[in-house]
Amino acid sequence: MLMCRDLAEIASDYIDGELNGRKNLSVKMHLMMCKDCRTFIGNLRASNNLLSAHSSGRADEEFLRRIDERVAEALNARKNNGSDSE
Amino acid sequence: MTDSDALREAALIEGLRTGNNQCYQEAVRSYTPGMLAVARFYLDHSSAEEIVQDCWVTVIDAVQKFEGRSGLKTWLHRIVANRCKNRLRTAKREVATDFSETLEPELANRFNSTGRWDLPPKLQFHDSADTLMENGALSDCLDKHLSALPETQRSALMLYEAHQHKSDDVCNILDVSASNLRVLLHRARQKIFLMVETFQETGEC
Repeated sequence: MLMCRDLAEIASDYIDGELNGRKNLSVKMHLMMCKDCRTFIGNLRASNNLLSAHSSGRADEEFLRRIDERVAEALNARKNNGSDSE
Repeated sequence: MTDSDALREAALIEGLRTGNNQCYQEAVRSYTPGMLAVARFYLDHSSAEEIVQDCWVTVIDAVQKFEGRSGLKTWLHRIVANRCKNRLRTAKREVATDFSETLEPELANRFNSTGRWDLPPKLQFHDSADTLMENGALSDCLDKHLSALPETQRSALMLYEAHQHKSDDVCNILDVSASNLRVLLHRARQKIFLMVETFQETGEC
């Protein structure tokens, strides 16, 4: 029988739909009978959604501007090379 | 990807091909965070930034040959991953996660010897992620805990959860097996879950 700890071990696989039919069913059966695990799965899902909503690994503006500068230089160099060869 | 996303991406790619500076600025802002997450999987912070900068310069020529078989994001992430792998060929790579352990110790300790909860979750988290994220303190706390995750776990989580890559793509970009990716994701999610739980119960990070 699937215990709460077993369920916690495969909780992400369950949430992502990565379990095979039989295992998936045993998780569902367990959840029907176990309020604590229902709360756990619900909370794990909620904290996941939080991550998706959270802006993803922001890069700081100064770094982005440095990239802009390098790209602009490279674009200019390319344009000049192009016009030289024409 | 919706049709309008696909159209927007096609327009952006066309802009990059013609060397439009504004399109580059837009693309740099949209894709750099994800590219950094990939690079940080392999390299320290300053090397990762250096690689990402170099990649953007490479893109100017490479985008002419981009065939669009994968999305722009996946293509960019692959360029970063390949560059990082090249750089690491001479250096040794560290993988901090123990892939044989699927439970975080802090969570594992909350079960008794029969495998039932000793310390079950007490509170139910609020439903809406948007409501939760309006809480600035929680958002800061999340940042703090994300940056404390081992690189491998953070990159896997960011690519999968925040950048919505498919598992196959994440495995490909990060060069990990499908089963190891599952462990990385689950370990990282448990840490975030534990953090949110503490925050909800105590209001402290």
